[in-house]
Amino acid sequence: MRIGDAKQTYEADEAIWTSQTQKLWFALFLLVLLVFPFMANAYLLYLGCLVGIAVISTTGLNILTGFTGLISLGQAGFMGVGGYTVAWFSLNTGLPFPITLLLAGLLAAAVGILVGLPSLRVKGLYLAIATLAASVFLHFIFAEWESVTGGMGGLSLEPAHLFGATFQSDFSMYFIIVPLAVLMVFAARNVFRTRIGRAFIAIRDRDISAEILGIDLLRYKLMSFALSSFYAGVAGGLFAYFYRVVTPESFPLSMSIFYLAAVIVGGMGNLLGGILGAAFMTLIPEILKLLTAALTPFYPNAPVFMSPMLEIIFGALIVGFLIFEPHGLAEIWHRIRRFFSLWPFRN
Amino acid sequence: MAQDKEPIVFGGSIPLSGVFAFAGVHLHAGLTDYTSWINSQGGINGHPVKYVMEDTGYEVDRSVAAFKKITGSNTVPVYYGDSTGFMKTIASELNSRGTTLMSGASFATALTDNEQYPYQFIPGPNYSQMFGIILEYIASQGEGGEKPTVAFVYSDTEFGKDPIENGKEKAAELGIDVVEEIVTKPGSVDVSAEVLKLRRVRPDYVVFHGYVLSPINEFMVQMRQMGLDTQFMGTFWSSDKLIINKMGEDADGYMGVMPYNYYDSQESGPMLDALRAQAEKSDPEAGYRPTGYMQGWFNAMVWTEVVKRTLDAGKELNAKNMAESLSSIKDWDTGGIIGVPVTAKNMSFPVGRIWRVNAKEGRYEPVSDWIQLD
Repeated sequence: MRIGDAKQTYEADEAIWTSQTQKLWFALFLLVLLVFPFMANAYLLYLGCLVGIAVISTTGLNILTGFTGLISLGQAGFMGVGGYTVAWFSLNTGLPFPITLLLAGLLAAAVGILVGLPSLRVKGLYLAIATLAASVFLHFIFAEWESVTGGMGGLSLEPAHLFGATFQSDFSMYFIIVPLAVLMVFAARNVFRTRIGRAFIAIRDRDISAEILGIDLLRYKLMSFALSSFYAGVAGGLFAYFYRVVTPESFPLSMSIFYLAAVIVGGMGNLLGGILGAAFMTLIPEILKLLTAALTPFYPNAPVFMSPMLEIIFGALIVGFLIFEPHGLAEIWHRIRRFFSLWPFRN
Repeated sequence: MAQDKEPIVFGGSIPLSGVFAFAGVHLHAGLTDYTSWINSQGGINGHPVKYVMEDTGYEVDRSVAAFKKITGSNTVPVYYGDSTGFMKTIASELNSRGTTLMSGASFATALTDNEQYPYQFIPGPNYSQMFGIILEYIASQGEGGEKPTVAFVYSDTEFGKDPIENGKEKAAELGIDVVEEIVTKPGSVDVSAEVLKLRRVRPDYVVFHGYVLSPINEFMVQMRQMGLDTQFMGTFWSSDKLIINKMGEDADGYMGVMPYNYYDSQESGPMLDALRAQAEKSDPEAGYRPTGYMQGWFNAMVWTEVVKRTLDAGKELNAKNMAESLSSIKDWDTGGIIGVPVTAKNMSFPVGRIWRVNAKEGRYEPVSDWIQLD
């Protein structure tokens, strides 16, 4: 039984794993992720892939908003850059997916740096509006730069391919999306063990103090924007390969709000929160539909009356979290963990 | 009527919530009522019909989830898609599965590209064909050898831009001058600058596309206030009673292209009468049923015909065979839903009629005969 969490070295303080039990649980979780596609039906597999894409994008936004304190409503725009990059390179050069995804991330990061430029001068709501403007601008480019983006009709692309293998089904896409999601969350975790990540946190906590400590605000803020947009670009690229079609309407403003809500509901500044928030936002509408399905045998017209109600329930759940659990789902998870760690001494 | 055979499933991603719910609930009612009616007639060749749907909120990812869920637990030969976005997104899966034929709320021109979308069809004319029908009507209204002039006003969306290029080509072919093109946001309210542009060119007709209501009403009211005698026209989703309900007397004279007879039209026919009787039976309080209802019902009629033809030919119910059955539909009597026998061409039914608002009566009345495009 664990009775304490004493850390005697800096290395112990920086370690990803604090106990063997944690490692064991994580190994078990990876095993579940591995076995899942072999057990799940097409519907669950599809949702699994969607959650994977959402986890990558939410993690990116969490780096920017949760860890660096820079609010952004441009995530859908950056995902769009990633989606169109993948589509364009795949259609015009036939490059394999690892390269196109990397290019998607890099181009989105470059755009992110540009969009992040005002972040030295403006923050909070002002920055939200600046990023919103960038998102609108990007949407305009997607819709109007017809020779590259296909205009409003968008682009249809071939399945992802590598060494002659094509990744067409949700089953095969799962093995691209989920490992990448795990890898990118781990990468983000490691960022916060370095000077860069700590600088982000210092900026979030008090940017003036961070500057006094010697942190170059513009450099680190832009770095945060670049990193966050890189994640969004990769998520957008995966989105493009997953649906195999990108149009300007694939990346609406509501998508940015969706990811921001995922970060908030999951827990800002907490990577686990990003994962839980992404899963919550993606799955709850589907889970709520089960309510309707349960009513249908007794009341055949239930979908007509229940569907608008489900939207309200979904909204109410989000508001409920903000009121009763402002630290998000991650805090609930931590409480559960604490309960088992301390049991039976305190519950 | 009891049937022992395996049910034939009509699947559907239906927008019962979200921005398209205003039409989704009626599409759903049309599909539901048709299912009840066909089952009361003995189903399809003795197979009962089962309608399985999920709400999508008009979001593509949820529509795809619904498709996966429904097709995962049922064999679904025919499926209703709720948007162009969904139908484009699901196309690659539909092509690789080869099990399901799809139609739905979209009239997008792109979906009639048989190379890319071989298993999707339009339950009526596509948007370009709607423009074709409108322009043929306009061309017929010229006097003394003069062709009327026209302006296109459309929304800055995929939906809005869909028929414009083809519309311009068709206008040129018919010798109609397109004197102005105006692009707006869907739902715009302040259109005074655009109205001034139209005032300068004084088109005989303005054709709206890519809207449900606004800014059509704004354009009409402002242009009439300026004393212009322009005629206003719209396509399917902007040709329902909403415009009469919102504008009242001001809606008088507005014209729409409609591939089906209106629920409250004076037309009749065995199927149209059956539709009205079923609608009355399922919800006696509802009264008028919008065009979405008619579209849902007609969709299911086409599915039935396609499935029936495939079964009659002794073929398996797969997408390829059903697409062939669809193509074989020639001079098909829809029992009054469409006033003339219809023929499937290029995975669509390029037929429609121009209807005009009689605001006093509160309904649309036909002003043209049925127009079929080649």
